[in-house]
Amino acid sequence: MNIQKKNKFDAIVIGSGISGGWAAKELCEKGLKTLVLERGRDVKHVADYPTAMKNPWDFPHAGRVPLAIREQNPIIGKHYLFTEASAHWAVMDDVHPFIEEKPFTWIRGYHVGGRSLMWARQTQRWSEYDFEGPARDGFAVDWPIRYADLAPWYSHVEKFAGISGNRDGLPQLPDGEFLPAFEMNCVEQHLQRSVAEHYTDRQLIQGRCAHVTDPQPIHLQQGRVKCQHRNLCVRGCPLGSYFSSNSSTLPWAAKTGKMTLRPFSTVHSIIYDEKKGKATGVRVVDTNTKEMIEYYAKVIFVNSSALNSNLILLNSTSGRFPNGLGNDSGLLGKYIIWHNYRGRVNAECDQFLDKRTHGKTPNHSYIPRFRNVFKQETDFLRGYATGVGAGRGFEADHSGIGEDLKNNLIHPPLGNWSVGSWMMGECIPRKENHVRLHETEKDPFGIPKLVISVGWGENEDKMVKDYLEQLSEMFDRAGFKNIRATDSHSNPGNDIHEMGGARMGRDPKTSILNEWNQLHACKNVFVTDGACMTSGSTQNPSLTYMAITARAANYAVGELKRRNL
Amino acid sequence: MKRRQAIQRIAVMAGGLLALPSWAKGWTPQNLPAVQTFFSPLDQQVLGQIVEAILPESDIPGAKSLGVPAFVETMLADCYTKAIQENVENGLRVLESKAQEKYTNSFVQLPMILKQALLMSIERGSDADLKTFYDLVKNLTIQGYTNSEYVQTTYLEYEMAPGHYYGCVPV
Repeated sequence: MNIQKKNKFDAIVIGSGISGGWAAKELCEKGLKTLVLERGRDVKHVADYPTAMKNPWDFPHAGRVPLAIREQNPIIGKHYLFTEASAHWAVMDDVHPFIEEKPFTWIRGYHVGGRSLMWARQTQRWSEYDFEGPARDGFAVDWPIRYADLAPWYSHVEKFAGISGNRDGLPQLPDGEFLPAFEMNCVEQHLQRSVAEHYTDRQLIQGRCAHVTDPQPIHLQQGRVKCQHRNLCVRGCPLGSYFSSNSSTLPWAAKTGKMTLRPFSTVHSIIYDEKKGKATGVRVVDTNTKEMIEYYAKVIFVNSSALNSNLILLNSTSGRFPNGLGNDSGLLGKYIIWHNYRGRVNAECDQFLDKRTHGKTPNHSYIPRFRNVFKQETDFLRGYATGVGAGRGFEADHSGIGEDLKNNLIHPPLGNWSVGSWMMGECIPRKENHVRLHETEKDPFGIPKLVISVGWGENEDKMVKDYLEQLSEMFDRAGFKNIRATDSHSNPGNDIHEMGGARMGRDPKTSILNEWNQLHACKNVFVTDGACMTSGSTQNPSLTYMAITARAANYAVGELKRRNL
Repeated sequence: MKRRQAIQRIAVMAGGLLALPSWAKGWTPQNLPAVQTFFSPLDQQVLGQIVEAILPESDIPGAKSLGVPAFVETMLADCYTKAIQENVENGLRVLESKAQEKYTNSFVQLPMILKQALLMSIERGSDADLKTFYDLVKNLTIQGYTNSEYVQTTYLEYEMAPGHYYGCVPV
C-alpha cells in the first residue's frame, strides 16, 4: 500500500523528447503531479553538453569516430550525427537491438530530451491542404482534425519555443508567431527572384526554425538568450538559443514543483484494469537494476517516439486487449510513414563572385510544396517541400608540396558558390508498412524486440524523379552550373521523421486514436508523438507534435476536472 | 575572443562544464581507446618525416611544430581498415626502397629537398597503390594542419561564436 502511494501520480508522461516535454509542461502548469519517465540517462541543460565548448582541434580524430566503434554500430555508425562531437547522443545498435525486416535506419535518442537535442530545428506549420489530403486524395483515413483546430495551439507553442521566420502569406504554409528571420545570402536571394520570375506556383522563402533571434520575456524567463550563430546546435546549446526539452519545457515543468523526472526507466507496458475499464499505470524496467516497478496515474501520455510508442502499446496486452492496448481495429503498428529525403540536386553558381558571406547561419531556405497543392496535377499523389542552402567557402589547392602548399592552405581563395537542395516528400501510408513485436526475441530489458518492416513504393519513386527534374530546371533557369541530380536510395528512417502506427481518425474500426489523441477504446491514454500521425505531409513534423500535445494535454486536464477520465 | 570567453563563463556558471559526467568521458580525448599504434619505430619515424616534408617549418610553423605527425598516426591507427593500414605500411617500405635505389640512402637521412622530390614523384607517378598511400597521408597532413588551433585562428577566420550571419558582403 505504501509503495502504491509513493508511486501514485496524477499523470504519467512516457518520454522526455519534444512531445513528452510539452506534455510535462502543460500538465504540470495545470497543477497535475506528473511523473516523466525516460529510458536513458539524465541530460541537464548546459552541464551535460560535454562537447558544446570544444574547438575543432579539441577532437582527437578531427570529429571522426574511430572505425572499431563505427563497425560495432553499423546502423547509427553511418549516420551524419555520429561524430566525435555528437556521438554521445547516439543509441548504440548493439545495446538496443531491433530487427530490420527491411532496411530501416532507426535514429533514436535515449536520454532526457531525446531527439530534441539532435533535431534540425525546422518548424513549419501544416496547412489545411495537409489535413484535407487523405480525404481529398483517397488514402489512409480522414484526419479527425483540421488546421483550425490546431492553429491556436501552433501559436501557443511557437510563442514559448521561439520560432524565427518571415510572414510569407502562403496558403500552403501558414504564417506563425515569428521572431525575426535569419538572413538569406546573395545566391539564395537570387534563386528567390529567379523562381518568382519563372514560376507562378512556386516560392523560395527563408526556412522557419526554432531559434531565439530576438528573445522575448518568455524566453528570458526560461534562461534562453539570443542565438550567437555558433552552429554547434547538435552538441546541445549552452545558451538555450534553440528549443529543446532540456533548455525549455522540462525546466519549466520542474519549476512548478509538480514534476518528477525518472531517468533509466524503460516502460515495459501500460497496465489496464479490466474492472475499471481504463489504464491505471505503467510497468517500468529500471535499466540499471532490471527491476520491474509499477507507477500509477489517472492519465497517461505516450510520447516515446513514434515507433517505441507503438511498441509499448503492442506490448500492453490484457484479457480485454489481447493484441495490444486500444488495438480493437487490428491496425496498431500499421500505416507507418516517414519522409522521402532521397532526392538531392546540387550545383554551382559562378555569379556574385565579388560577394561572400560572413559569420554562420544555423538555418537555410525552403521551397514549400508546389505539387498537387490545390488540385491533383501529376501521376503521383501529394508532393514535396525542398530545403535549399547556398554558401561560399575557401577552396585551397592541395597539389604540390612544401612552402607553396602551405601558402595555399593558409591563404585559400574563395571558390564558386555551391548550392544544395534536398527533397522532403510525403510518403503515402500503406498497410504493409508496419512494425510488430518479435514473437520470441527480447531486448536486454526483457521487452520483445521491435520488428520494422517498411519500404519504398511506386509513388515515392515517381516523386523522386519529378523532384530531380523540377529542381534541375529551377537551378538551370537561375543560371546555376554543373547541376547534379541524384537519388540516394537511402533507407527509410534516415530522415528521422518516422510517423504513424497509431493513427488518429474518426472511426474506431479504422483508427487507433480519436480527435483528442485518446485511444478510442481506453480514453485515459493519450498518444501525442509521431505515432498519432494519419498522414505525413511534407513539413518537418516536430512543431505539429508540440501543438497536438499541448492541445491534448489541456483537453486531458479538462476531462479530469469533468471526471470523465 | 571576448564573446567566446563570455559564453564559456555563462556555461560554467550555469552548470559547470569543468566536471564531465562519467558517461561523457568515453568521448574525451583522454578517455578514447588508447591509440594502438601498429607502426614499427622505424615506420613511425618515416611517416613523421613524410608529414614534415609535406609542410615543413619556416617562419610560419610547419606540420611538426603543430603536432600533425601524431595526428596522422592516430587517424591511421584508429579510423582505417586493416587493408588501408597495410597499404600504408607497404607504402612506407616502397618509399624506403626508392630512396635507396635513387639516392643510395635511407629516406630519413635525405635532405628535405630530396625527400620532397621523392614524394612529388609519387604524387605525379602512376603506381596506384603507392599514390593511394601518399594521397591518404598527405590529406591527413593537410587536415591536421588546417584543423590546428594556430592555423584556424591565425589564418582561417575561426570563431566559435561569430554572433552574426551576413549573407551578402563584399569580398
